[in-house]
Amino acid sequence: MNKLTQTIYVVDDDEVMRDSMTWLLEGEGYAVACFDSADSFLAFRRDDMRGCLILDVRMPEMSGLELHEKLDGLGSQLPVIFVTGHGDVPMAVSALQRGACDFIEKPFHNEDLLSRIVRALELDSQLSARRQRNGAISHRLDQLTQREREVMKLVVAGKLNKQIADELDISMKTVEAHRARVMEKMGVRTLAELVKAVMTVN
Amino acid sequence: MADARRAAKNLAMLMRPPSSQPQNTRLWLAPYVAIGVFALAMLVLTALLQWRELDTARSALEGDMHWAERTIENRLHAHQDFLAELGRDQEFKQLTYEAFQVRAARYAREAPEIQAIIWVDTDGKVEWVAPNESTAVFVGEQLSGERLAALQEALRIRRQVVSPDYRDATQRPAHDVIHPVQRGSGDLGAFIALQSLETLLRTTLPTVFTTRYSLTVVDAQNREVLSNTSVKPTDRQISGQISLELPNNRLGLNIVAYRAGGAWLPYVPVTLILVLTLIATVTLIQLRRHAKHRAATEEELRAAYAFRQAMSQSLITGLRAIDLEGRITFVNAAFCRMTGYDEQELVGIKPPYPYWPPEEFDRLQHNIDTALAGQAPSSGFEMRIMRKSGERFDVRLYFSPLIGTDGQQIGWMASMNDITEPKRVRVELERAHERFVTVIDGLDSAVHVADVQTGEILFANRAFQNIFGFDSVGKDSAQITAACRPADEWLQHDPTKLSADELPCELFDGELQHSLSGHWYHLHERAIRWVDGRTVRVQIGADITDRKHIDEVNLQQQKRLEQTSRLITMGEMASSLAHELNQPLSAIANYCAGCVKRMQAGNYKLEDLLAAMQKASDQAERAGKIIRRMRDMVKKGDPNRQPIALEELVDETRAFADIDAQRTGTQIIVDLPEHLPKIVVDRIMIEQVLLNLFKNGIEAMTDVPVERRQLTLQAQRVDERMLEITVADQGHGLAEEDIEKIFTPFYTTKAEGMGIGLAICRSIIEFHQGRLWVAPRREGGTTFHFTVPIEEIGEESD
Repeated sequence: MNKLTQTIYVVDDDEVMRDSMTWLLEGEGYAVACFDSADSFLAFRRDDMRGCLILDVRMPEMSGLELHEKLDGLGSQLPVIFVTGHGDVPMAVSALQRGACDFIEKPFHNEDLLSRIVRALELDSQLSARRQRNGAISHRLDQLTQREREVMKLVVAGKLNKQIADELDISMKTVEAHRARVMEKMGVRTLAELVKAVMTVN
Repeated sequence: MADARRAAKNLAMLMRPPSSQPQNTRLWLAPYVAIGVFALAMLVLTALLQWRELDTARSALEGDMHWAERTIENRLHAHQDFLAELGRDQEFKQLTYEAFQVRAARYAREAPEIQAIIWVDTDGKVEWVAPNESTAVFVGEQLSGERLAALQEALRIRRQVVSPDYRDATQRPAHDVIHPVQRGSGDLGAFIALQSLETLLRTTLPTVFTTRYSLTVVDAQNREVLSNTSVKPTDRQISGQISLELPNNRLGLNIVAYRAGGAWLPYVPVTLILVLTLIATVTLIQLRRHAKHRAATEEELRAAYAFRQAMSQSLITGLRAIDLEGRITFVNAAFCRMTGYDEQELVGIKPPYPYWPPEEFDRLQHNIDTALAGQAPSSGFEMRIMRKSGERFDVRLYFSPLIGTDGQQIGWMASMNDITEPKRVRVELERAHERFVTVIDGLDSAVHVADVQTGEILFANRAFQNIFGFDSVGKDSAQITAACRPADEWLQHDPTKLSADELPCELFDGELQHSLSGHWYHLHERAIRWVDGRTVRVQIGADITDRKHIDEVNLQQQKRLEQTSRLITMGEMASSLAHELNQPLSAIANYCAGCVKRMQAGNYKLEDLLAAMQKASDQAERAGKIIRRMRDMVKKGDPNRQPIALEELVDETRAFADIDAQRTGTQIIVDLPEHLPKIVVDRIMIEQVLLNLFKNGIEAMTDVPVERRQLTLQAQRVDERMLEITVADQGHGLAEEDIEKIFTPFYTTKAEGMGIGLAICRSIIEFHQGRLWVAPRREGGTTFHFTVPIEEIGEESD
């Protein structure tokens, strides 16, 4: 099911590598998109891309590491698998430390690559699901008024209605009304659910 | 003590403003008026007194006069009566000569003014004289003149007559009292009493009377007959006249009272008053003149005081007066301002003063003792004192004797200047100068300043003096620096012809060799304006001998590096080849795996598989080409073996390794036995191996303490063919498994290694028929051993 919605993006300056990679991955039934340079991938990139990115470390112009940094800066959550040549291991390690998903050293065994791809796609699915959930909660949160948000913050912080009334200098009744509206707008019934929803976003 | 107190009072009076006097121009007249009125009153009073005294004297005179008149008249009447008694007895013939003698003599004795009583006949012939011893008249003497006329007159009128006054034998005024004696109608004769006026007055009037009054007897014609004194009273104010009514002879008696003390006496009080008034007036005028002078002086004094007060207020110098015992008698505003104490808090106290900081106590006590002993230095004391707030500050205190108005020393005046700021500035300046000198002297560069006209060296730092001599300042720059001096024609400008507007100006910038020491200097010379305005040359010479040397060494190293670059490039190439091989091999693997997957799934097109397999075979071919290329390259680097001394080789390698060694503080110990045979090797290849082992060793020791960072190189002959060289470090050592693998290509234990260094090294050594191996050291660290062939006598190189 994942294979249908997720694409494997391959960025490599070597045409033979791109071709062989496509051959291998299509043989496994994945959708594959190849780019000959970091710039061409950046031109194609969209925020709602799903799948994973296989990135050659050594490339002319923009290296794989630089592209990774750029993507991080753009807020991309696409999992990245680095492909390194011999001697690039320290580079790959530092890339991993900066949040890359995985790396594989050339020459690699195809099963190693495939297992890494599977893991990357699973991670992508999780991230995507969370994004959707967070999107829903965020949408609900956006509907709250300023005062309701203040009341909610204090409720989540564990304050009693009376304390909230004191702190915001409003009456208990008003606090209760705000609180009810917050619960309604956030689509939750209990305080625990509200806390969970808020914590998911934050 | 008392002196001191008086002195303090004097001083206080000196310091206080004189009280101002009211300036009323009318008021000064009052004393004159008072004196006038007083003098007038005194005069009036004196006049009144005199008038009263005169009045009293006059009444006394009148009383006395009447008494005298009566006394004299009584006396005269007594005489007349006696004469009349004798006459009656004669008339009646009852008087004999003897009786007459007895009676007349007795009477004359009682009344001394009666000189004689005589009996004359009618013709004036003296018949009887009594007393008979009288010398005034003698018996038988004939009266004549006025006396006879008076006798005849008396006889004629038959009444007593007093003759006019005449001068008796002693030339004293006298007159005769004539009493005619008749019997019946015939005259008998007359009794005459010769009366001396002078004696009359003397006997009748008491001496008190005559001393008090001047008596003058005048006759009827107002001629003076007799006076009881030769001194004539000039003042006749108190006088009177008595008329003695003698028969036929009117005698007047003028009485003038003598004034006590003489005629001038009444004028004495007046004169005294006038004189006193005069004196008083003169004194007043003098006083007034003095007062005016004094007022003017006071005015001046006030102005002077105000001036001094203003001066004292504006003065920033603190003034303090102390008496001879050190007690403060005066402080000015500035002193109070400085110390922060009020005048009341300071005046009257003895040392220690409250503004002495406790830590300076002994020194200040010593200072004040010195000052009181009169031995204060003229340059004053420099001391640190304390404000009331506790803040310390530095002052300079000057002492000078304080002389009172009586010329005696009454204490000491001390002026105090706050020198905190000047001292701070001075210290600051000194420090700045010190810093400047330290910096300038600390420079490696020789700096000196010389006058462009005279060539005199005005300033030279230590580096300059080290080179050109320590007595160079003041001498001629051209002589001193002759050994290292740019020729005048090299200068960009002629410094002697520069105008002030052109300064500062570059003169020279270049490198010169000192002709004596052989040192190289980079000289930079500029013309600038010196502190006193003249144009000077500033020359900065940096010793660049070492740098020149280093440059030369670097140049040599560069040459060596170029020599070794061939091998380093080979290593890089190996890495790049490995990367290149990755591509075809990965591609082949991908194509094959893709084919296998499709064939396993049974879902494939034959053309697709064929195309993939074709591509895989292309890539295999590509890999083969890469490998061939590498082989070609290795073939090209044919080693050039030559006999060479190991020492030489090690020295050259060390030149490179030392850079890293010095950076990390590693000591490279070369411990080679003497008389080692030459080795037959490709010098650059073995240098590369050594360098590699040195670098590995240095890197291995970066984690151990600096004192343990020692890399030892040793060598020993193994047999007649081979020499074993050992490089031992004291680093972290190697794990067992690493010892097996470190010579495997692309294996590395280092974060940034390629993993081919030792592999290549082993290849190189094996290429030389030697061996390269590694062994752990028991005391920690690793030892690399390798063997290389040595020169054999008579051996022919292949």
